[in-house]
Amino acid sequence: MRSLCFAFQVYLAFAKKSFQRRMQYRVANLAGLTTNFFFLLVHIFVYTAFYAARPAPQPLSLDEIITYFVLCQVSFMLMPFWGTRSEVTSAIKDGSVALQLTKPVDFQAYWFADECGRALYYLLMRGLPTFLISLLFFKVTIPQQPTVLMAFTVSMMLAVFMSNAITITIFSSGFWTLDTTGISGMSYSIITLFSGMLVPIALWPEWLAHIARWLPFEGLIDIPFSIYLGKITGIAVWIAIGKQMVWNLFFIGLGRLFLTRGFSRLVIQGG
Amino acid sequence: MHHLSLYFHFVKLRIRSQIEYRLSFVFDVCAQASISVIDFFMIALLFNRFKELAGWSLWEVGFLYGMIGICFAVAEMVGRGFDVFQRNIVRGDFDTVLIRPLGTFFQVFAHEFLLRRLGRIAQALVVFLIANSQLAVAWSLTKVGYLFISLVGGTCFFVGLFVIGATSCFWTVQSIEIINIFTNGGVFMGSYPFSIYRWWFRHFFTFIVPLACVNYFPSLFLLEKIGASGVSPIGVHLAPCAGFLFLGITVLFWRWGVLHYQSTGF
Repeated sequence: MRSLCFAFQVYLAFAKKSFQRRMQYRVANLAGLTTNFFFLLVHIFVYTAFYAARPAPQPLSLDEIITYFVLCQVSFMLMPFWGTRSEVTSAIKDGSVALQLTKPVDFQAYWFADECGRALYYLLMRGLPTFLISLLFFKVTIPQQPTVLMAFTVSMMLAVFMSNAITITIFSSGFWTLDTTGISGMSYSIITLFSGMLVPIALWPEWLAHIARWLPFEGLIDIPFSIYLGKITGIAVWIAIGKQMVWNLFFIGLGRLFLTRGFSRLVIQGG
Repeated sequence: MHHLSLYFHFVKLRIRSQIEYRLSFVFDVCAQASISVIDFFMIALLFNRFKELAGWSLWEVGFLYGMIGICFAVAEMVGRGFDVFQRNIVRGDFDTVLIRPLGTFFQVFAHEFLLRRLGRIAQALVVFLIANSQLAVAWSLTKVGYLFISLVGGTCFFVGLFVIGATSCFWTVQSIEIINIFTNGGVFMGSYPFSIYRWWFRHFFTFIVPLACVNYFPSLFLLEKIGASGVSPIGVHLAPCAGFLFLGITVLFWRWGVLHYQSTGF
């Protein structure tokens, strides 16, 4: 128990360092906020125009769409594919992974800790301000039941966690391919598409939505937001969160496998 | 003439170094293309549900999307030197540029050439060609010439944005992220008809940052939608020139910026 407690403190310290490192760039953050807000505005213009042309009832109302994209701008930066990546990501390519291996910590856990610090930074410095400003300008719906908010929080945390598990898996493939730009670019497209980040899955045609339901990526954006909007209720919430957990375990396991296999055949480049 | 042959020489060197790792290069081009494919796929999904957007059909929007996509990708390919200029400032490399017997603008321009943007160009071109075949545009010599000028004007516009971003580095050292609003954001908003935006938004992107002039107005003319839009025809005809004008102004800004350069470096 004691050693577990100690281990936790070590990783907490890593997360804190990662958070503090980002606090240095305040002006850059302000610019980023403006950019987030601009994209949000264009999304809202586009959907307002689409909805104006077709008043027939849709699976999501315009207000719900607006809320969806506000949440999107609040949370996408928390996930490494769309936000800025942590320095650890390039560790395999530039060889600094050798240095990490000399530390008496678990590399995957260290990577997670670093990403968690990053995610917390973007939540506080980007996400919350974006949300508060959006409340002033747009019709953002807020769930009335506390249970919905709780389920959303859990689901959102699982989403951020999974985004890191996936990223670690992708970049661990660098032990074999050495250059991960191609593979990370390809997976970026698939993830962006099937997470529901560009268009909510509720608006997709049936056949494509069906494919999305069988893939893990809806757990990054669409599941938490659908819970927030009350589109998933009752027992379905538990199923959705369970699905996120299973996929989390899957990617953590796969990433671990890649890392241990990779370390056993590691040849350090760079210098 | 000397500059031109020198430019092609530089570009040849750049291309050679980039295709050194062939497999990685092919992967990269494919990844580039796949990212933009899903972009348009999502627009198509929305049209599948909503059928039209402010009187524009899917392929009319595809026409807009293709045009802006080509301009931006070509601008990224040739204007890369300005896009990544901040590292020259951070490292103090700009000192070497100053002591060479060539103009600074030309040197920075000719320094980089991003061949892998071919994937993005190809994707945008395919969308444009499909849109064109679906729309049965009545092409004439005037229209082809006008399209060409619009595309070059659009490319100049985006290169101009990169130049502004680079010039600001003379003061801020780090590049200002805010320029992303106009580059990536410009591509995003330029993919939709301008009439859907609020008046202040439209005016800003017409008169201050002339995005509409190189994309939306030309499309109105080419697709014969001027009448329905309520925009003055003379304005539409002259619009693409705004891209050249914009680049011209940014070049002046660059020259002024160079005078304020103070070496950093380490």
